[in-house]
Amino acid sequence: MRILLAEDEKELSRVLIAAMQSTGYEVVPVYNGLEAVKKAEAEVYDAMLFDVMMPVMTGIEAVQKIRAAGNQTYIIMLTAMAEVDDKVTGLDAGADDYITKPFSLKELLARLRSLERRNENYTEDTLDFGDITLITTEQRLESYNSISLSAEETKLLNILILNSEKKLDNKTLIEHTWGKNEKIDSEMLWIYISYLRQKLQSVNAHVGICGNKGGPYQLINNSKEDPK
Amino acid sequence: MEIYGTYGKYLPEIKDEIMHKIDELNHEIDGQGGRKLYEHLIGRVKCEDSMIEKCQRKGLALTPKSALGNCKDAIGIRVVCNFIDDIYKLVDLLKAQEWCRVIKEKDYVSKSKPNGYRSYHLIIKVSTPYPDIYEKKPGEYYAEIQLRTIAMDSWASLEHELKYKHNIKNPEQIGNELKRCADQLASCDVQMQTIRQVIHEYD
Repeated sequence: MRILLAEDEKELSRVLIAAMQSTGYEVVPVYNGLEAVKKAEAEVYDAMLFDVMMPVMTGIEAVQKIRAAGNQTYIIMLTAMAEVDDKVTGLDAGADDYITKPFSLKELLARLRSLERRNENYTEDTLDFGDITLITTEQRLESYNSISLSAEETKLLNILILNSEKKLDNKTLIEHTWGKNEKIDSEMLWIYISYLRQKLQSVNAHVGICGNKGGPYQLINNSKEDPK
Repeated sequence: MEIYGTYGKYLPEIKDEIMHKIDELNHEIDGQGGRKLYEHLIGRVKCEDSMIEKCQRKGLALTPKSALGNCKDAIGIRVVCNFIDDIYKLVDLLKAQEWCRVIKEKDYVSKSKPNGYRSYHLIIKVSTPYPDIYEKKPGEYYAEIQLRTIAMDSWASLEHELKYKHNIKNPEQIGNELKRCADQLASCDVQMQTIRQVIHEYD
């Protein structure tokens, strides 16, 4: 998993990074809410850990901004024990969970493992974008016609739909589709992008993937009317 | 009952002539260094019984005019291709031919029927040395051309079997499975098409 950590206390941040990295997670640290918002806009993460009290922009405001942009990434708030209101406002702002300080690393890592299970086992059944519907459980793409997708094509289209507001680079797409251990390079990704393009065309979708060989790629909606 | 009347004897001739023309097209392309456009070609004249049944179903009088004028598939040609692109290439080629006129087309490849059926249907009109139902000579005859890939063809034979089996316990489930299978075959067709394009990128 790739985790965005926003914590302004340098010492705590260092400890958290070390703990999460030792479990095999990739951690990107930032030190205030504004940086967190910028990172969330620019890159794809599996989870975000935000402290509440931070300089420049608080964790709460950052969550609000990130959610307002349509980002659905799982967010855990780090709140001080006494501040019940922080928990409430944090959750209401769009956070998914909170951990009260001081917390044990054991608990934090257990929560991340729980999230990992959820990501693997309970992904959304259907996703809509423009005039297409992706039924992930059945690996089927529908528009004015329907066609089956392979497991990899399903994962690839899934991440493209969920991050349609961003240009996604090769590394991100490959890691989310094939995981880290596979020997998949940008040539192979290009072939899968080509499969998806042809399949989108074969169901007469007004949705396309822009980007040339080598990436980055982005899903685009070419329909005249905006379904939103 | 001879629903085709005196015109019945011309139908196999016309069918063979159309098949011959399509075969020539294939050789032309092949000769130009291209790859052959289709895998195989079959043709049939709709048997009298089926045509009578069709006219009755449509409430048409059992006359040669109904069978050869109102119905346009007394002569049927099926072209089975290797790749989806070849279907469209052939459709374009047929439209450009002087010996026939495409008067109707239905693209069930890009928009499949709800049950999953995929094929490209053309109704063509050809000029022949024989008299037609309007007693014109040279007369004009209709033929239906169905173009599909090998995968679509196998699927259609399976679906055809289902249509004539009435003792199936769970027709709805089987129907859903057939639909799913059609989507998977379409997936393979598109995949093969894409691989072919990727290979040719290196040309």
